[in-house]
Amino acid sequence: MKKKEGSSYPESKPVDLLHQFEHILEADPLIDEVGFIHPSQFAKLTEEADDATDIPTSECPSFWNRDHKFGVSTLVLLPLYNAAKLAFMAAIGEYKRLGPDVVVSGDGLESEVMKHSRALLLLSPDFGTAWNSRKLIVSKKQDLSIFMDELLLSELVLSYSPKSDHAWSHRRWVIKSVTGKCSTLQEILRKESELVEKIAERSKMNYRAWNHRCWLVSYMTRERVLQELKKSKNWAGLHVADNCCFHYRRQLMLRILKDSSCKQENASAGYAIEIYKLWKEELHWNETLIKQYIGREALWLHRRFLSLCWMKQFVTDVNDVSCNSEQKISISNDFGFFISNELQLLHSCSSVPNSDFDDFKAQATFSASYMLWLTKQSSEFLSKDSEHQEKLTAGNLKTLLSKVCPERSSLWDSLMG
Amino acid sequence: MGELATEKHVQYILSVEKRKDDFISVAMEYLRMNGAYWGLTTLDLLGKLDAIDVDEVVSWIMKCQHESGGFGGNIGHDPHILYTLSAVQVLALFDKLNVLDVEKVTNYIAGLQNEDGSFSGDEWGEVDTRFSYIAICCLSILHHLNKINVEKAVSYIVSCKNLDGGFGCTPGGESHAGQIFCCVGALAITGSLHHIDKDLLGWWLCERQVKAGGLNGRPEKLPDVCYSWWVLSSLIMIDRVHWISKEKLVKFILDCQDTENGGISDRPDDAVDVYHTYFGVAGLSLLEYPGLKAIDPAYALPVDVVNKIFFGR
Repeated sequence: MKKKEGSSYPESKPVDLLHQFEHILEADPLIDEVGFIHPSQFAKLTEEADDATDIPTSECPSFWNRDHKFGVSTLVLLPLYNAAKLAFMAAIGEYKRLGPDVVVSGDGLESEVMKHSRALLLLSPDFGTAWNSRKLIVSKKQDLSIFMDELLLSELVLSYSPKSDHAWSHRRWVIKSVTGKCSTLQEILRKESELVEKIAERSKMNYRAWNHRCWLVSYMTRERVLQELKKSKNWAGLHVADNCCFHYRRQLMLRILKDSSCKQENASAGYAIEIYKLWKEELHWNETLIKQYIGREALWLHRRFLSLCWMKQFVTDVNDVSCNSEQKISISNDFGFFISNELQLLHSCSSVPNSDFDDFKAQATFSASYMLWLTKQSSEFLSKDSEHQEKLTAGNLKTLLSKVCPERSSLWDSLMG
Repeated sequence: MGELATEKHVQYILSVEKRKDDFISVAMEYLRMNGAYWGLTTLDLLGKLDAIDVDEVVSWIMKCQHESGGFGGNIGHDPHILYTLSAVQVLALFDKLNVLDVEKVTNYIAGLQNEDGSFSGDEWGEVDTRFSYIAICCLSILHHLNKINVEKAVSYIVSCKNLDGGFGCTPGGESHAGQIFCCVGALAITGSLHHIDKDLLGWWLCERQVKAGGLNGRPEKLPDVCYSWWVLSSLIMIDRVHWISKEKLVKFILDCQDTENGGISDRPDDAVDVYHTYFGVAGLSLLEYPGLKAIDPAYALPVDVVNKIFFGR
């Protein structure tokens, strides 16, 4: 028979509720999901997950726990929160009064602070003072497994509050604390990255989550970065409206670019070609997605980045004497090829078959403003290429943009005179 | 299009403070200081700050201050730079900055600057361009910008600039309208706006306006009233506000009002809160909506309050 808790009533004393709540957390350290549920749903949950040997549920339970999923009745949240806050404030007050140096680990006060702060954070995820109290105690111990427990608590909080700023920040504090002290950093980073992906799946375009993943990049080895690029491609292809994931890829790509520029002096041409291939591939993939998913802003913004970097990276190389002449020619030829390709893309995306279709209108707007953006950002390169400069005269773009996106006419007027 | 339900919003803000019986509002008590800033600045913009007992607010604020000089979000809560700015701003609204031990507060803030010029939010070391803005804004209000290395602070902010012209939380962070406000605001206060490509950033910002007229904070997101503040104030600071449709935005904000019980929500027909009520009213103020006090886009305080701070009256 599976474990089950939950026979208290909303009218239970707040202190008893808190004890019960903390007891459940203590007894099942594998709880990986917390949620607030109206008690009327408890019966349904039990029914769904039921087996024949189940004991009958009480009529009005406060908590529900099975298969490491923990439900808290919305009816008890307020008294439970008040009790948790009271208990936490009393414990941390006493701890600070005595001073961390006086408090001996085994005397129970530390565990009181840890226990009540955990309860409180599961009810109020951005209660900064509670997170701080844990940092205070954990940093005193300097024990890797205790640091890792903090990642678990943060993950539990994120399971019901995926945007909690403090929960994400607590993870970064843990990682900064263990960096240089543990041999498994790359493994921790891999798991962090996976956690973000898991959370991003049900919390769309979660800035805090993706910001955390971008933050991880500077700690990654080059091998890790390449693996992340590979892994996130699939996800991005399935979530083409999610600018966060594309931004993450941009950070990974910039990191590879940065690494190579640091190593320029002794780097072989092979290194440059690897980056060249990476960019080409991403541009090609992006074009495929653009044609497959009509009118997606995030895809076009990604293209702005890819194209601008491509020009900056490879067009400057045309004049780079350190490159061998064969490579120089092929890249230089590619530039003309590149611009022609972009013009072709613009052409195929800017026709609006039926003005009633918003997606096509959006596609036309994005494609034309992409082209305008690119010409503005890369005027230094274009000025050397009279042939394509002519094709990119602002006049055509302005006519198009004024037609498909008249609401931004003042922007177009300012940019194109 | 309806009009701004000024009286209703005043009543709503005054009522929020008294709510002690629902879990959501009680569990947000850790940021009461921010709430005080949002609510009281809204009242001031609406010309109704005199409905508040000044002494009560000031004595509560001072109970939130720590030995370190920083302020907590509520009594008994740890200090953080986020709440320190709100405390200073609220005191400025009431022309009560004189109750502060300015040395103490400014030492706390200056002590949070890191070697690379960035700022931590508190002693635990989380770094964010939001904290750079807060430090710079706060020190400027208190006339103590000289306590930090402004040059390094500026160059850290510039290092958070992306190729799209926007800014993120830390170097490499995704551009976000809220972070952009912080970075542009900090650069404006320190006279460093020349680090910004105004056309490029203005372009990104004006692409935040969606068909319905509202602004989003990032590509592909739904519009939200709070970005009326973050995007609009940034566009004003870089002189590109004429690139969006002001009329449509005014309509969007007014459509987010609860005309029966007061308050403004993120989007039409959602639940209202103080945060969005403030950003809605502040946005309308930037849009020069009649009957509202003007608000300063960098300091996020009424212009008359800012003038008093810098010009003595």
